[in-house]
Amino acid sequence: MIIHPDLRALRSDDAPQRHAQQTLHRAMAAWRARPDVEELTRDMARFAEGETLAGCPALAALFSASNSAGQRFVSGLIGHSARALGDAPLGHVPMRHFVDGCTSTLLLSRSGQVTLSLVALDGGELMSRPAPRSVSLGPHETWELILAGSARAELITCEPTGPRSAKLSRQAQALAPGTLLKRDGQRDARLLRSVAGTLVSLRLQRRRADAGPTREYNLADGALVHQAAGNPRDSRLELALALLGRMGRKDAAPLIAALAQSDASAALRWQALRECLALDTATGFAALGAVAAAAGDALAGPAGALRAQLLEAHPQLQILDRTQEFSSCPT
Amino acid sequence: MNLPSIDLSTLPGLDTVTGLFGSLLDTSGQIYSDDSIVVLMVYVYEIIPPSGLL
Repeated sequence: MIIHPDLRALRSDDAPQRHAQQTLHRAMAAWRARPDVEELTRDMARFAEGETLAGCPALAALFSASNSAGQRFVSGLIGHSARALGDAPLGHVPMRHFVDGCTSTLLLSRSGQVTLSLVALDGGELMSRPAPRSVSLGPHETWELILAGSARAELITCEPTGPRSAKLSRQAQALAPGTLLKRDGQRDARLLRSVAGTLVSLRLQRRRADAGPTREYNLADGALVHQAAGNPRDSRLELALALLGRMGRKDAAPLIAALAQSDASAALRWQALRECLALDTATGFAALGAVAAAAGDALAGPAGALRAQLLEAHPQLQILDRTQEFSSCPT
Repeated sequence: MNLPSIDLSTLPGLDTVTGLFGSLLDTSGQIYSDDSIVVLMVYVYEIIPPSGLL
């Protein structure tokens, strides 16, 4: 095996590697301190707080089809990091990245639920993969500016026709440098059909917390094939609930009962009800009764059915039932 | 009050099951959002309860 002498030297002394990394960190800090990048960072924070894109001028300028600010911004960054890498070839650009052979992303900036990424898609690798069979729609908004390469894409518009089906309208679109796409992720999706060479884009994405799950529909007939939590917080809480349940932490039951009656997603609230019932029968049964009685609550139906089922299976629960009726009596 | 303990496995799920954030059925490789995540969860609890220190 041939190992470059510079790399071989790192085995016994990692100081050059640390020095290279310091060089890269300093270079990227200098880029972030540029007035235009600082302005962009402030806009990212405002955008994360709910401001419209038009209300964030530095950010909006990047995603305007009428000027080349997006192109100049990315060229500036790439030039800056390439020069830094020229000075320290063994360094690593200190930005979060992802590579799977087909998609490469570099996270340029992030604030709360908002990310600004540079995305490259390899057309050859894309063609070697199976064609998508489903399309996924989730609670996020996306702005995307094509910077380089060209592609044939399909824009898919989704109109739910029931809890487990949707009408999918499909429209072909050609992507070329300067193409600007804006998508409401709950309604619109984009599928790439073919990419000539590599497609490079600048992507701004804002996730909308507590705005429902991500749904995946079958492309052929619009049937719902999968549903997933729309934000990582729900899944994190669900895992924490499961852990507290397995640890038998009865002291957590009041908190879990409160979560079951909060404005969190239906899926998370239902898990909270189940875990609470298993941890502490009285607290869980009270929460179940409250949810079943809440007018307009999407879980009122399933909670009422479960309550009736539990009362039938465990007649001893009737004593709690009577206590609840008594406590909810206005007199 | 003598209450029954309820086995979690006897409690039904909702009609439409909701998977964890980022889970997808179609893994054909086109990634459209930044849904691929890693969450490092840290739990801190004492190994020796306070009475054990006395």
